[in-house]
Amino acid sequence: MSQILEQIATGIIGGDIQGVEKLVQKALDEGQEAETILQNGLIVGMAEVGKRFKAAQMFIPEVLRAAKSMHGGQELLRPLLAGDKAGRAGKIVIGTVQGDLHDIGKNLVGMLCEGAGFEVVDLGFDAPPDKFTEAIKTHQPDIVAMSALLTTTMRAMGYTLKAIEEAGLRDKVKVMVGGAPVDAEFAERIGADGYGHNAVSGAEVARNLIEAG
Amino acid sequence: MMVNRHNYDVNATPTFRVLSEDQIEAIYYASLRVLYETGVRVYDSEGVDVAQSGGAIVEDTTEKSSLVKVPHYMVDKARATVPSKVVVIGPDRKHRMELYKNQIYYGGGSDTPYTIDPYTGERRRSTYNDVKNCARIAQALPNYDFHMSLGITQDTAVGTYDRWQYLAMLEGTSKPINITAVDIEGVRDQLEMAYIRVGGKEEWRKGPIFTLYIEPVSPLSHSQEVIQKLLFCCDNHIPFVYTPCPLAGATAPTTLAGLLVQALAESLFGIVLSQLRNPGAQIIIGGLMSNMDMLSTIYSYGSPEMALLSAAYTDITKWLRVPEYETAGCSDAKLFDEQAAMEGAINIATSGLIGGNMIHDVGYLDSGLTSCPELMVASDEMIDMVKRILQGIPVTPEAMALDVMEQVGPGGHFMEHDHTYERFKTEIWRPKLIDRQNWENWNMAGGKRYGERVHDRVVEILEAETEPLLDDAMYQELRRVCELADARHKDEELDVKMFV
Repeated sequence: MSQILEQIATGIIGGDIQGVEKLVQKALDEGQEAETILQNGLIVGMAEVGKRFKAAQMFIPEVLRAAKSMHGGQELLRPLLAGDKAGRAGKIVIGTVQGDLHDIGKNLVGMLCEGAGFEVVDLGFDAPPDKFTEAIKTHQPDIVAMSALLTTTMRAMGYTLKAIEEAGLRDKVKVMVGGAPVDAEFAERIGADGYGHNAVSGAEVARNLIEAG
Repeated sequence: MMVNRHNYDVNATPTFRVLSEDQIEAIYYASLRVLYETGVRVYDSEGVDVAQSGGAIVEDTTEKSSLVKVPHYMVDKARATVPSKVVVIGPDRKHRMELYKNQIYYGGGSDTPYTIDPYTGERRRSTYNDVKNCARIAQALPNYDFHMSLGITQDTAVGTYDRWQYLAMLEGTSKPINITAVDIEGVRDQLEMAYIRVGGKEEWRKGPIFTLYIEPVSPLSHSQEVIQKLLFCCDNHIPFVYTPCPLAGATAPTTLAGLLVQALAESLFGIVLSQLRNPGAQIIIGGLMSNMDMLSTIYSYGSPEMALLSAAYTDITKWLRVPEYETAGCSDAKLFDEQAAMEGAINIATSGLIGGNMIHDVGYLDSGLTSCPELMVASDEMIDMVKRILQGIPVTPEAMALDVMEQVGPGGHFMEHDHTYERFKTEIWRPKLIDRQNWENWNMAGGKRYGERVHDRVVEILEAETEPLLDDAMYQELRRVCELADARHKDEELDVKMFV
């Protein structure tokens, strides 16, 4: 690996947002391929972050800072990357469902998904079913992710899924759900494709859903 | 119980203090600045109107909410009418809480999706019967002064579960209850149930049998549901708990002082709005503040910061002279294990020593997601120990026992002395489940670990024959309120069974 790519990876691990952007620009100026910078710099750094987080050597605020550094670098590369996804892992529409104002978990999943290379469209909290269906039409995401903290508002996940079906959009997106009172069985019963038991697993589930096609 | 009586500068009770008066004032005046300059977001137009008519500045109004800025003099005005004491009395009028400075009362926590099955040890979705059983355990434990559901009834309708949950609790306990409600209609139904239980509105006025749990969302957000509940309580003589649950590093500053400032601003807004609506409205401010674990992202219920923040908040509410909601008897452990006992002991002791008022969440495991009957029983004994410590050491001539020492003299013993005979039962605490036998006797008695003895006690309580607390006619009347609510909302339920 060239020295500059190593520096980019180190910058990601250290959460150096401006530094990573500068290094990516420098690497481009030096004539490195965008794909090489992405694969051998940014992704290498983020993979190391994931490894260290699992080993309890890095913590959420550090992971989020790393994710933001990754995101900044990626945005610079985006116009230069080939393919319709332009280096993106995919697109996610995410929101806390109708009636629920709790969004810390949803925000965390959103940020971690961004760090994992997804483009994230955040619908905020208390998002009614038609806000989700409209967002699917407008943004054409690969995944719709819903969050709820209350058993009563978990029902809105069911309503939203139904609205997605009725709008004829169900086969266009994968749907994943999460939140403290939600479990895998509930996800299955309402017909969701994935369930994240916490924020970190939420980002993993999103990746798996994309890989599974 | 009375835990703190000052006599000149002599404390009869050992006390613990986290914040000095200067520090409390610094936090309080910082909160006033947050209210005035940062403001709070209010998602209820009626609430916004009440605040505005009381002098608040309303800005940045969107379709759903407004930013409300509260000048400090509004807080002064509200503090002049907010009660320094709130009384809640159970349907059995001997169970009472007088919430004011240094009066400690312990009780459960609400609405966990899961419970530990008392027989199989399995973690599963809680049901009506579990909620009733936890209430029966609370009823049997002398150190439980009030109750909260310790489970969501998930085998009933989802949208109207709160009424069923209240019924389950009323079946199990006659102690005061801190209820939760799905929405304003849920409060109204449960108030009707309470009137039925206590014998009418006038009886309620003489001693409300429940408080309502209301939780604004941190940071600095007050939802429509929250504001509507608050206003309804003010209009209907319902004492209520107004408790934000800020999370250091996630929904509040990571520094504990910053979190305290924010939490206080959130509670003070509740005080201001309630006193504008109805001067003298009974509010209890709290009470659940902790840190987010930066690896697991859980809300930590067992951290030293949780105990420390609760204690610091108690110092603040004592200074404010407003009854307080505290947190203890809870843990992040997944089972009733050594960690649960350790974390529970630390936060129960801290909350008692600081003199918190309405100390809730006793029996919570798994960061507030799972309730545990065994932790309830073990906590009862921990609370008992703390209460003994709080009795302190009265230093009187009689207690210093100089004449007794004179009589016994060097080398004698005290075991047969009248002074011992008359006092050992009241002076020395006696354990219930804690074991002090020698090895041989303990071994002959089955050699059981503490956890096993606690488990046996849980089963013993559940299997004991007790008189029903509700006669059949009353039960049917209460049940009818629940069924009518179900009928009104049946179309809102999902086609699939959600939980069990």
